[in-house]
Amino acid sequence: MEANTEIKNAKVRIEHIEDVLSSVAAGDLDIRIESEIEDDLTGVEQAINLLIDDLTHELKKSIKMKEDMEDKLRKIQDQQKTILQQQEDLMELSSPVSKVWDNILILPVIGTLDSQRTQIMMENLLLKIVSTGCTTAILDITGVPTVDTQVANHLLKTVTAARLLGAECIVSGISPAIAQTIVHLGINLSNILTKATLQSAMIYAMKKNEQLVDGKVKTNFTDIDDIQL
Amino acid sequence: MNEIVSDKSWILLERCPIQNEHDIVKARQVVRQFGKEAGMGIVDQTRITTAVSELFRNMFLYAGGGEVLVEKGIVDERNTLIVTCIDQGPGIANIELAMTDGYTSGGGMGYGLPGSKRLVDRFEIYSQVNKGTTIRVMKWK
Amino acid sequence: MDFNEKRIPIIKIRDYLIVSIQVDMHDRLALQLQTQILEEIYRTGAKGVLIDISTLEMVDSFIGRVLSGMASMAAIMDAAVVIVGMQPAVAITLVELGLEMPGVDTALNMELGMEMLEKRLNKA
Ligand SMILES: Nc1ncnc2c1ncn2[C@@H]1O[C@H](COP(=O)(O)OP(=O)(O)OP(=O)(O)O)[C@@H](O)[C@H]1O
Ligand SMILES: [Mg+2]
Repeated sequence: MEANTEIKNAKVRIEHIEDVLSSVAAGDLDIRIESEIEDDLTGVEQAINLLIDDLTHELKKSIKMKEDMEDKLRKIQDQQKTILQQQEDLMELSSPVSKVWDNILILPVIGTLDSQRTQIMMENLLLKIVSTGCTTAILDITGVPTVDTQVANHLLKTVTAARLLGAECIVSGISPAIAQTIVHLGINLSNILTKATLQSAMIYAMKKNEQLVDGKVKTNFTDIDDIQL
Repeated sequence: MNEIVSDKSWILLERCPIQNEHDIVKARQVVRQFGKEAGMGIVDQTRITTAVSELFRNMFLYAGGGEVLVEKGIVDERNTLIVTCIDQGPGIANIELAMTDGYTSGGGMGYGLPGSKRLVDRFEIYSQVNKGTTIRVMKWK
Repeated sequence: MDFNEKRIPIIKIRDYLIVSIQVDMHDRLALQLQTQILEEIYRTGAKGVLIDISTLEMVDSFIGRVLSGMASMAAIMDAAVVIVGMQPAVAITLVELGLEMPGVDTALNMELGMEMLEKRLNKA
């Protein structure tokens, strides 16, 4: 390579390179360096043009990637919404309140109780009490593995709210383990009516309603003979 | 106890003066209406309405009245109804005591403040003796 | 319309007074109603009072206290009070507020409330 090759219009051309570079920096990726002359500086000019090409390509790729990511994020958010909705639906399904006898409702509680679930359960039970006019409700917790302070408070709250409506709530299905936990935690359930089994709660409720007198079941239907228990 | 700060992005829905007992009723109905519009369920509507009713009455009884701002906005990424009660009354010297179940300086039952705190998702109180009290409650949709 | 003009009607049927609260009461109106009911008990010798609150959308500590106060006061006058038809949302809110209204009798509807009073009177 000849060291002293003369570079034509060097000053003007370098200024042009500077201009192009600052345009690129400002975001104009369509601009390129044009040169009619072939000399040592041409190589630099071409290299810069190639660099701008690469940059354009990379930028396009990253914009595409960003769009893809945003798309995925939206999809995930949608899915999450669906899951939440399904969870809510499931919660309502998992706390069915049924009228098992004249004036008696049973709410079997199964599984772990968290705040949100107890909340929905409580609302369902109270609404059902009002719509059926049943004055006795049995909350059966046989299917609940553990009771902590929070769950006990929710149960208390439900029983008290039911009383304000004009209904009595009985909590049944207190296993030995749950009885132990409740006493160990110092939870005071003395204000609510508890029974060890669903059966004893049912018998209590029917006696209270005068549906069970002297071991005989009374029904409102005259065509059915009293059932011997 | 820190001063209560607002967010510029919140939208003011209504401003209600509390000067007499009718204002308490009107303002709590306004709050219920906005709770309903925000899509709250019936229990949450009742919770926020009852909570603010307690605060409005306190303002009327102990501070001779005040002003209520009802706003909506995003708090912790949730749609939130924000009710702020501002009075220029005597202030509360011992907030911790006032927030205790059963404490009353008058003939109340002392369930107003602690009770309304239990009914909302967020409760902020700022008070200066002889200057006044500001209480803000929030309920998510 | 002047709020003070609004009076809540009290109806007497046999031995009972029946009151249906259908407005969002301000504090003074609630107190006025309390006095009015007690005066009606005195005037008519009613043995029981049924207070229907099924259309009430909110009971705060003040109204709660007026209602339970009324029950205690009526009891001294030898009349029983039954609060009828509280909405579930109101009941949940009252309990969370801390007002459990102990000693206040409640019923799901008018019919059950009436039965309750009848049983009570037959026992006495
Ligand atoms: N805005 C206020 N300005 C000054 N003091 C207040 C204010 N709000 C509450 N307090 C004080 O705090 C105490 C506790 O209030 P809280 O509402 O809990 O109970 P209460 O009003 O006394 O009774 P209740 O609300 O059960 O009828 C009041 O007795 C009063 O001394
Ligand atoms: Mg108060």
